[in-house]
Amino acid sequence: MTVLDATLTDGRVVQYVLTDNPPSGGMKKTYFSPDRSCVVQFYHHQSAVHDPQRLSRLEAILGKFNPTITQDKGGSAASQTSADYFKRLFCWPVGIVIKPEIGIVAPTYPDSFFFADGPFKGREKEGGWFLGSKTRRLLPASELGNWKNHFGLCICMARAVRRLHLAGLAHSDLSSKNVLIDPVHGASVIIDIDSLVVPGLYPPDVMGSPGYIAPEVLGTQHLPVDDPNRHLPSAVTDQHALAVLIYQYLLLRHPLRGPKVHSTASAEEDERLAMGSQALFIEHPTDPSNQPRDLNLPCAILGQELANLVQRAFIDGLHTPHKRPAAAEWERGLVKTWDMLIPCDNPGCSHQAFVLWNPHDIRCPFCGTAYPISTLPVLKLRSERRPGQWLADGQIVAFHNQSLFSWHVFDNIYSGELADRTPQAYCVFHQGRWLLINQAMDSLTSPGGNRVPIGSAVELKDRAKFRLSQQPHGRIAEVQLLRIGSSTQVSPASVPAGSPAAQSSCGTPITHMPPATRFSGLPPAPAAVTLLPAPPPQSPGISRAGRVAEASPPLTPHTGSSTTPDYWQEKVKTYATLVIAFGSFTTAITTLISQCHR
Amino acid sequence: MLEINRRLPVYLLLDTSGSMSGEPIAAVGQGVKALLADLRSDPQAIETAYLSVITFDSVARQLSPLTELMAFQEPKLIASGATALGSALKLLDEAIDREVRKNAPDQKGDWKPLIFLMTDGMPTDSWQIAADAIKKNKPGNLIACAAGSGADVDVLKRITEIVIRLDTLQPDSLKAFFKWVSDSIKITSQSIAQIAADTPINLPPPPPQIQIVP
Repeated sequence: MTVLDATLTDGRVVQYVLTDNPPSGGMKKTYFSPDRSCVVQFYHHQSAVHDPQRLSRLEAILGKFNPTITQDKGGSAASQTSADYFKRLFCWPVGIVIKPEIGIVAPTYPDSFFFADGPFKGREKEGGWFLGSKTRRLLPASELGNWKNHFGLCICMARAVRRLHLAGLAHSDLSSKNVLIDPVHGASVIIDIDSLVVPGLYPPDVMGSPGYIAPEVLGTQHLPVDDPNRHLPSAVTDQHALAVLIYQYLLLRHPLRGPKVHSTASAEEDERLAMGSQALFIEHPTDPSNQPRDLNLPCAILGQELANLVQRAFIDGLHTPHKRPAAAEWERGLVKTWDMLIPCDNPGCSHQAFVLWNPHDIRCPFCGTAYPISTLPVLKLRSERRPGQWLADGQIVAFHNQSLFSWHVFDNIYSGELADRTPQAYCVFHQGRWLLINQAMDSLTSPGGNRVPIGSAVELKDRAKFRLSQQPHGRIAEVQLLRIGSSTQVSPASVPAGSPAAQSSCGTPITHMPPATRFSGLPPAPAAVTLLPAPPPQSPGISRAGRVAEASPPLTPHTGSSTTPDYWQEKVKTYATLVIAFGSFTTAITTLISQCHR
Repeated sequence: MLEINRRLPVYLLLDTSGSMSGEPIAAVGQGVKALLADLRSDPQAIETAYLSVITFDSVARQLSPLTELMAFQEPKLIASGATALGSALKLLDEAIDREVRKNAPDQKGDWKPLIFLMTDGMPTDSWQIAADAIKKNKPGNLIACAAGSGADVDVLKRITEIVIRLDTLQPDSLKAFFKWVSDSIKITSQSIAQIAADTPINLPPPPPQIQIVP
């Protein structure tokens, strides 16, 4: 084993192991440090080495534009929390090598971004493995992840791109190759940071990767670089690539690759037109000429929020770059849609979750399994925008085991990188009733106006309205109880989720909650104890250990689990507090039941 | 999905004349093996690349028809006889005509084939007409490799613009050559859409054992 020294600009020395055929991409070849904690990458082309801009660009990327270092240390992160958060979303270079050649030092990706099993064990999880119809078939089932985690990885990706754009940077080459994904934990990491574009300062040196290049870039590639009509990679072309990636990871198909033939001269010419000037969305509502024959899961199954963004990205904004949704809008739309996800009851389902997009027929579009309980509450959230004026500004499906977080409780908390990820409450279907169990909210108030202490519950009856918090910015929740299966009894408010009508809940009251027809997730416990504290959330699909990580969308792997081991401890503490507070079991049960009935 | 997935056909034309016998042919066999292993670790290559092997000694044979990467069985290579380069070029032309999907109004055709030709000697059959036809019709992007001191660069220049030279037939040189072929296929399968139909393809920088013949 030959170990060599690489000298950095700041004089530090990093060791790397010389190998015969180092892994090499289009721009660089890669060597590992002896302990494999970091990589040393050298540029292929000598021209890149002598490019006077190369060094100053790298210095700017590692310095003032760097979201993984705080401002007081020369980076661009506003806080250490933010810096640490984005370290997980980017593989940001940590040093510039000047000897023996120009190169960079970057951290090695976490183990979860390498296949643990199967024919490609040890290889990086570039998105292409999961998107190709041939390669996907070769992956072991244990690597495929569920649909919910695909939303999670898309949120990570959108958030990372949003952060780049906020800093005034553009990635310029977002593709399934440059974003590693971990569908098992719902995480992603953006790599190849060193060729970032700083608009006006450092121009792009790549056009992008096939399938992700924006139509206007391909359509004007014949023009000279300095032609004012020539489009080069920028933040708006990143917006196109991001939209393609999100569409691909959620629906496993390319939004522009359909059967339409644009030129018979050559495959290359046809491709240039199909991805460039003639690009046409495969789900175009009025022009079906590019629609594949086997398209049976339209983007409507992503819910109204995302369907709108898809339309803006691939219809309105496909050839009109300024109409494309920004990364922040994708992030917001994905987070909102995350709250509308329902676990699929079929343990053999390929996706394990689906979006509540059609309240008239709550059924998994991937396997056809209907929701197993006869009712399903949706909490319509309202914020007080002006004194006394409560505006609908969100909703969440309160399925069994759903958690509420601080960004649901308060209208001034965003579920981004800085949010506290401690569950505030959770929902359960228990003995024929839907309950919201308080875990951490200090002023949850029942519809009747009583404080609901931690460990106690509010019953989620149709049209029940209650405050999640009495503090400033605390939201009101209004319950809409959807009935499953019998469309004649569905309340008039049951229109597609996210549509304006759905936001203004005006459901017909359902006075008698039907008994549970079937329920498998409830823990068998003596009746006297089940309501006190509330039944712990548990369901066949979601393991206890994975719960926090699964329930909080924006987290990269393992980060959420720190709260998990404390869960039972916390539960026990809650229990004890409750017993002390109410003096005895009987009082506690009576109080709780009376609250539930109010 | 089938109807919209284009394939990248890759043809390997390998010289199996008597002068290749012994260590060189064994190294070529190893090279093909390594090439397969390397391509099978790349998702884009698995998705798009299809491989065929044509060998030529006293006659030319298509040992493996165009086959998708994961199903491809490496052929047994035996070296003997003369160097029927002309027959090999004719066979290549027929194979491409038969195996590569054409672009039509109702069909997405395959990408332009990528062809690697390796020879260590002078052709022994009549090759000029086939060579001129290939150069004129350009059925694919052809990269010709003159391996060892006995190969004639001028012959190859009559077939294609892209000619490289491998100084020796040592196993290390052949290994480096096949690694470079593999990198070329990977880069092409990734960047194919950016290639204008008639501009030269984008090849990775060759290793020190390979010189590009201007």
